[in-house]
Amino acid sequence: MNITHKAIEQGIRVAIEGRIDTTNYNEFEQAMNLLFEEKTKAIYLDCSGLSYISSSGLRVFLTVQKKMMATGGKFLLFSMQPTIKEIFDISGFSSIFSIFDTEESALQHSPV
Amino acid sequence: MGKEIYKQLTIRNAVDELNRVVVFLEQLEEECQLPAGCMLPINLVLEEALSNVIFYAYEEGSSQEIHINVEYVAPRLVITIKDTGKPFDPTQKEDPNLNLPVEERPIGGLGIFLMRKIMDEISYERLGKENILRMTKIM
Repeated sequence: MNITHKAIEQGIRVAIEGRIDTTNYNEFEQAMNLLFEEKTKAIYLDCSGLSYISSSGLRVFLTVQKKMMATGGKFLLFSMQPTIKEIFDISGFSSIFSIFDTEESALQHSPV
Repeated sequence: MGKEIYKQLTIRNAVDELNRVVVFLEQLEEECQLPAGCMLPINLVLEEALSNVIFYAYEEGSSQEIHINVEYVAPRLVITIKDTGKPFDPTQKEDPNLNLPVEERPIGGLGIFLMRKIMDEISYERLGKENILRMTKIM
């Protein structure tokens, strides 16, 4: 798994590549926790490189969403591969996350 | 004639052994000549089932074996997991409420639900000292 991030006008853009599973979900969680410390108003997560996710990974997504909501921030996901989107759908996660087809459409979505 | 593949893997009850399962499934996907990516939900199901055994079935520090048996008789994939840990029947777990708003959604409880949603059939039996979990999916 590889996680990179950069500051953008609207908040922080994070890109995740590889698998999030039981063996490494805590790396993802730690990386996301570091971003919270910067009190960001919006996290834009590029999911195009995300190739696999298990329930331990989904749990981290849910935790991030809860934390962002608690601070009035936004967590926006974009460019998800169809197989990953399917897992989100089955979990009932598609209705609680803002998922966009493209980065452009995610960025157009106002963070406030 | 449809394709028939029989494959086995034995892992120890340790988290890093899940990486061997990933490789095992990649090989299986290739051998079964299934479209790339269609083992991904199967990977998820196996990871959930095996994590439950790895984390909860045995006393801490005891090294045990978990046996995974796969039969693919196109289009039917049957995966059997056997362990000798504490009795645990995942088919008896209650489904989480997916209609709850995000603030109230519990963080856990999804794994077994996903197993059920992805597979077409899941059955459990305790035979002697063994947990036998059999999961079927029409690919």
